[in-house]
Amino acid sequence: MFMTRSEYDRGVNTFSPEGRLFQVEYAIEAIKLGSTAIGVKTKDAVVLGVEKRLTSPLMESHSVEKLFEIDSHIGCAISGLTADARTIIEHARVQTQNHRFTYDEPQGIESTTQSICDLALRFGEGEDGEERIMSRPFGVALLIAGIDEHGPQLYHSEPSGTYFRYEAKAIGSGSEPAKSELVKEFHKDMTLEEAEVLILKVLRQVMEEKLDSKNVQLAKVTAEGGFHIYNDEEMADAVAREQQRMD
Amino acid sequence: MSQSQFDPYVQNGGTTVAIAGDGFAILAGDTRSVNGYNINTRFQPRVHEVGDDLVIGASGFEADALALVKRIQQRIDLYHDNHERKMSAQSCACMVRTLLYGKRFFPYYVYTTVAGIDKEGKGEIYSFDPVGSYEREWCRAGGSAANFITPFLDNQVNLHNQYVPGSHGKERKPRRLLKLEEAMKITTDAFTSAGERHIEVGDSVLVKIITKEGVETRIIPLKKD
Repeated sequence: MFMTRSEYDRGVNTFSPEGRLFQVEYAIEAIKLGSTAIGVKTKDAVVLGVEKRLTSPLMESHSVEKLFEIDSHIGCAISGLTADARTIIEHARVQTQNHRFTYDEPQGIESTTQSICDLALRFGEGEDGEERIMSRPFGVALLIAGIDEHGPQLYHSEPSGTYFRYEAKAIGSGSEPAKSELVKEFHKDMTLEEAEVLILKVLRQVMEEKLDSKNVQLAKVTAEGGFHIYNDEEMADAVAREQQRMD
Repeated sequence: MSQSQFDPYVQNGGTTVAIAGDGFAILAGDTRSVNGYNINTRFQPRVHEVGDDLVIGASGFEADALALVKRIQQRIDLYHDNHERKMSAQSCACMVRTLLYGKRFFPYYVYTTVAGIDKEGKGEIYSFDPVGSYEREWCRAGGSAANFITPFLDNQVNLHNQYVPGSHGKERKPRRLLKLEEAMKITTDAFTSAGERHIEVGDSVLVKIITKEGVETRIIPLKKD
């Protein structure tokens, strides 16, 4: 593999003769090593779920952050390089606050996603006057969940700067089996509780460790409560409900 | 000895009146543009449709007013491209504030009004000072004859100093939202009487009426003297 790619996989802004940008493709590969994250949209909410890889039993689980609030009505789940995600989320937070400042209203979900993707290709040399912020593509993918005048929405954004809208989506190392499970189990008139249980069920199947209320985390976006990351009690409750289903 | 100096502003006159009511907002402006005792033109619109059922009124220094309206128009077009939604009057007002305050130290010499319709179908009027301070109101007169018209609107629209007959000045007349034709009558009266006493007001009034059906334009003739 390296013999055929060796000439063109170094420069971040050089196409290979077949018309590919290898560094971007490698960045997408990096996400496949990341922890699994799942998003499911229901009629009036979006639920996000992530696996927390606790590499040691001495690790404090709440210090592993994979769910972030962007604005009160938008949040995201990440998979890949956490440090890269912080740059992106910082940018998104500034964007949404600027929107509120200028227009006295919350920013739409799609336009927020677009502004996140605008960052993705700002690596390499950059144009004149444009600030160069990264020497390489971001190694992180996001599941962006939010609610606006078009109702609840779920977007997936990649290091390539493209984004797509989904009803249910999984990213990260367990994404392949998780995706086929979602295709099988997802239906349009799911309730919020069913979505929580589905995400936990799928996570349980794809995680290497045994799922408990400490090594997974859920978040939801609703019209009433906005973006909300589950606290310990809510997590324990959701995991208990999923376990009941299993028995 | 003469000394040259920088005189960037001109007063081109012009007056705008805005009234919001139940299911409508009116924004009217006379069309006379002056320079001192000279009339530049008898038909220079001061109220501008900018799409999304929004109307901008701008009077004061004409060149600044037109530049401002053009920038608002551009920003609304960009907003459509980026956000794929209609701009509300509330958002438009907030954005106009940033445009005006952005020139805090070389201001647009313009008295701006934004008119639209809110979600409940009530008229919305936002009035600005030249550096972007703004508020939502039920009525506003702006520009050169504003000080003639404001007390009239205070009395006729906001019912200041109006009491229930027989209450001996104890009970105020209750507030109510105007009907469209009542507001049109007040607007017409405001301009005809301002035209009698202010040399910068006359020729005609361009009226934009915003309802949920869209924006309607009417022209009221004024005396040309």
